[in-house]
Amino acid sequence: MRVRYGKATAAFAIVSALSLAGCSSGGSTSASQDSSCKPSSGPVELSFTTWVPGMDKVVDLWNKDHPDIKVKVQTGPNGNSGTYQNFFNQLQAGNAPDLGQIEYDALPNFRVQDGLENIAACEGVADAKDKFVDWTWNQVTFGEDKAVYAVPQDSGPMAMFYRADLFKEAGIKVPTTWDEYAAAAEQIKARGSYITNFPRSDVNWFAGNVWQAGGQWFANANDKWEVNLTGKESEKVANYWQKLLEKGEVSTLPSFSDEWNASFNKGQQWTWVSAVWGASTLQSGAPDTSGKWAVAPMPQWEAGGKAAGNWGGSSTAVLKGSKHPYEASKFALWLNTDPEALALANKLGGLYPAAKSAKDLDAFSGGVDYFGGQKIYDVFADASANVNPNFTWGPTMTKTYTDVSDGFGKATGGNGTLLDALKDGQKKTIEALKSQSIPVKE
Amino acid sequence: MTRNHTAPALAAGAPPARKPKTSAAQRRAVLLFVAPFGLLFLAFYAVPIVFAIVQSLLTVERKGTFGPPQQVFGGFVQYQQVFQNTEFWESVGRVLLFGVVQVPIMLGLALLFALLLDSPLLKGKKFFRLAFFAPYAVPGVIAAIMWGFLYSPSLSPFGAVTSQVNFLSADLVLWAIANIVTWVYVGYNMLIIYSSLLAIPTEIYEAAKLDGASNLQIAWRIKIPLVVPAIILTGVFSIIGTLQLLAEPQTLRSFSSAISSTFTPNLAVYTTASVPNYSLAAAFSVVLALATFVLSFVFLKATQRKVSQ
Repeated sequence: MRVRYGKATAAFAIVSALSLAGCSSGGSTSASQDSSCKPSSGPVELSFTTWVPGMDKVVDLWNKDHPDIKVKVQTGPNGNSGTYQNFFNQLQAGNAPDLGQIEYDALPNFRVQDGLENIAACEGVADAKDKFVDWTWNQVTFGEDKAVYAVPQDSGPMAMFYRADLFKEAGIKVPTTWDEYAAAAEQIKARGSYITNFPRSDVNWFAGNVWQAGGQWFANANDKWEVNLTGKESEKVANYWQKLLEKGEVSTLPSFSDEWNASFNKGQQWTWVSAVWGASTLQSGAPDTSGKWAVAPMPQWEAGGKAAGNWGGSSTAVLKGSKHPYEASKFALWLNTDPEALALANKLGGLYPAAKSAKDLDAFSGGVDYFGGQKIYDVFADASANVNPNFTWGPTMTKTYTDVSDGFGKATGGNGTLLDALKDGQKKTIEALKSQSIPVKE
Repeated sequence: MTRNHTAPALAAGAPPARKPKTSAAQRRAVLLFVAPFGLLFLAFYAVPIVFAIVQSLLTVERKGTFGPPQQVFGGFVQYQQVFQNTEFWESVGRVLLFGVVQVPIMLGLALLFALLLDSPLLKGKKFFRLAFFAPYAVPGVIAAIMWGFLYSPSLSPFGAVTSQVNFLSADLVLWAIANIVTWVYVGYNMLIIYSSLLAIPTEIYEAAKLDGASNLQIAWRIKIPLVVPAIILTGVFSIIGTLQLLAEPQTLRSFSSAISSTFTPNLAVYTTASVPNYSLAAAFSVVLALATFVLSFVFLKATQRKVSQ
């Protein structure tokens, strides 16, 4: 789940002020491996930090029925734009909220900082395995037994949003492979528009493309992390986009900025290969193009393939130090499986649930006007089934993202290539792991 | 201060060995007056600095791929990393270049505006004083957002210019930031210099006029030399401010792809703290603070010598 960056900047000053104030007493968290998870006596109040719009309304549903477990919602900026920094500072200070929204790619980072409670022993948590899409469950358990570090919330299976009207008018075939996509890019450029925008700061978008191509950036094997940002799949994806960049066939606006919205709204962008939550991003960012969009599966590297990537998706984690893990996990399970809650979270926040039951909900079976009445969630449900379930994120993703993003920034400015950025990211990620004393294979 | 006034009286009648006695009550009063400042200074200045220094000497240890982190004393390990970190030193070089160009321009403009306000020729002084100072009342983040829109190629009201010249590109973005900083702080610096101009006794001007000095000569030979201390003060503030640039580049990141996460030293500190790698971030901060201190000190020394010559 992602919200535009613009809002985040306003919160930045506050965030940095808070993070200064939050610096106290370091390294006192102990590694208590509690295997018990008992209910608290008496009524409890839980704090929950999230950046999903409208989540307070969803929580109101819970509070109405559970007077003894009152949940208070705090909203923050999008994870990497401030909320994670806050969480890390709060964990350090020992006053983190009971529950926090954490994207799958940040979970290893929080676990390595000892920021997550293992809630496997809490009532109903271990049994919930079958209620969630397989790969999301793998993300919250790290593939281990007797370990559950969060409850899956939503996922971000990827597909291609495209301007059906423009493609039809121009007589260009809607691309089904990346080769066709590059050919279309050239024709669209000739008409003075762009096939899409290359998002230099969304390295997780790039990772989603590598994921689709069958690549893996990290592996946790034999008590060592393996880092592989420059494997042959990553190289293939990097060289592909490098070519489009060099020909000027893609724009390089900062994603989710007003400039970016305006570009989509004015019809300068013909496609956006994005995740399911992108549907609501488009609707709010480019309202003038309503009814002109459609959704098709992600272009393929091999004709006839069905592989899809994933971009984003969050979990609801119980943060270290919570005094009420039993109640917190009970709420987290309700939030992410209750049909009423899921429907409302989708309506207000655009979430595409990680719960398997989602596809039976009304909200995900009908057509969407913005997309000319197309039943877009069918496309994403197919994509979700075609996401490689074994994808591992590294334990310092924030650092990897900023390093690669800096390199991408240089590359989009004509200084170096995307592949150079990945090579640099590889080197710096290994350094970052070493500086945190995390065992890494070189 | 009061002792200065009473000193001659004491010296006249009293033996030289006798010191003025401070009673316990007086000492208590001094403590009482110093306490509010002292406590705040301790809590928000001394303690955080000591904490940062301690933090910078720690390093993390853990067992296994997901072992919980433990902070242990690491000596100067973090400082070794600071000095090997090319991005950090590039960012220091970037703000130094920024300072060398931007600070003289800003202070030059501030001096010019202050002299204009002080000159007898200008009408509507109150209005101009407020108008020049107004941008300083705009918070830095808001100013950066506003300028971000003005620079933006397709959203700017000056689209005819911004679509031709991309102020947010890698080549120009540093100077786009310089422009914002200048816009915000010229008025503030002008006010400091202007108040120092007001403190000059008017008799000096009268004497100069009797000797046949023109307004320009008065400005050049009397006013400017007399406000040099104020200019030095604003110079030191500006150097410190330049090394600590954060809000403007951080805010412009959502407008420009050309600002990296280590664009300025403080941005690098923020990024490092977000990893989270608090110890390295603390080491960056300590080095930056020392650099700021040294630079301000050198500047003060250099300018003081000039003034005394």
